[in-house]
Amino acid sequence: MKRTKIRFLMILGLICILIDIAASWYSAMYNEGRIVAPMDYSAYVFRIQDLPMIASVFLTWIYVLYLFILLVKAIIKNNRRDRRSSTSRKINPKLGFLGFLGFLGFLGFWNYGFNKNMSAFVFFAFFGFFGFFFEGKMSNTFRDERYKENKVKAQFASMEIVMSILFILTLLLGRGDLMGNPEYTLIAVRIILSLTIGLYLLLSEYLLYRYDHDDETAESED
Amino acid sequence: MPDFECKLKKYRQRKELTQEQLAVQVGVRRETIMRLEKAQYNPSLKLAIDISRVVEAPIEEIFIFK
Repeated sequence: MKRTKIRFLMILGLICILIDIAASWYSAMYNEGRIVAPMDYSAYVFRIQDLPMIASVFLTWIYVLYLFILLVKAIIKNNRRDRRSSTSRKINPKLGFLGFLGFLGFLGFWNYGFNKNMSAFVFFAFFGFFGFFFEGKMSNTFRDERYKENKVKAQFASMEIVMSILFILTLLLGRGDLMGNPEYTLIAVRIILSLTIGLYLLLSEYLLYRYDHDDETAESED
Repeated sequence: MPDFECKLKKYRQRKELTQEQLAVQVGVRRETIMRLEKAQYNPSLKLAIDISRVVEAPIEEIFIFK
């Protein structure tokens, strides 16, 4: 992405934040904090004073949607380029530190206790980003037939492990009343599914690295 | 582990090629040639034919399957 476009996106983001702040201030000062403060939306009746806040939320959503579309387009473009390329994609191994975002999944326990919301458990899947450590080490590697074979082997082995975990999960939690509570079952399923996705992402990269480097110490030129 | 013996090293050295040079000529990585020579990797038919052409030796003499 060009630097001018990044600057343009940052300016747009800043404008959205400023509009949000201004709208929140207006709502707090002249509209009894409506929409800003938690309120019962089932009994919501529109007032003209709500308009700045509604407009700012709408603008922010459009901005986030625009960012999302740009991200999807960039991913598709990169995937196409990768498929045509004879080398593996260039990744900085430091991106593996993003795997620590997986610990945000523990927020789920706090969040569930606070307002019964289970969405934060999905963050456990981010442990899969630790796979970037290994993908980074295999970055820009020439994809010859052995590399392709190892990649398929690694993905297959990871898939087998993940499927086994899911099979056991189905057997153990199939009754749906973990500790006599269906909600606990749902939490356990969410956590295990997120961890399994993370495990698949991590394992497929780790195994590819291992298959490719299993006896590197024994390598010699001639 | 493939159950075969690989005489590639002998034929490669006879042609005075390094692993790197052979790898470039047949379109694989040096590590792949190294594993082939240790009989740790079972090559595709295409790769076996390419190698056989480069080292100018019959496939069945380079890769001996038991």
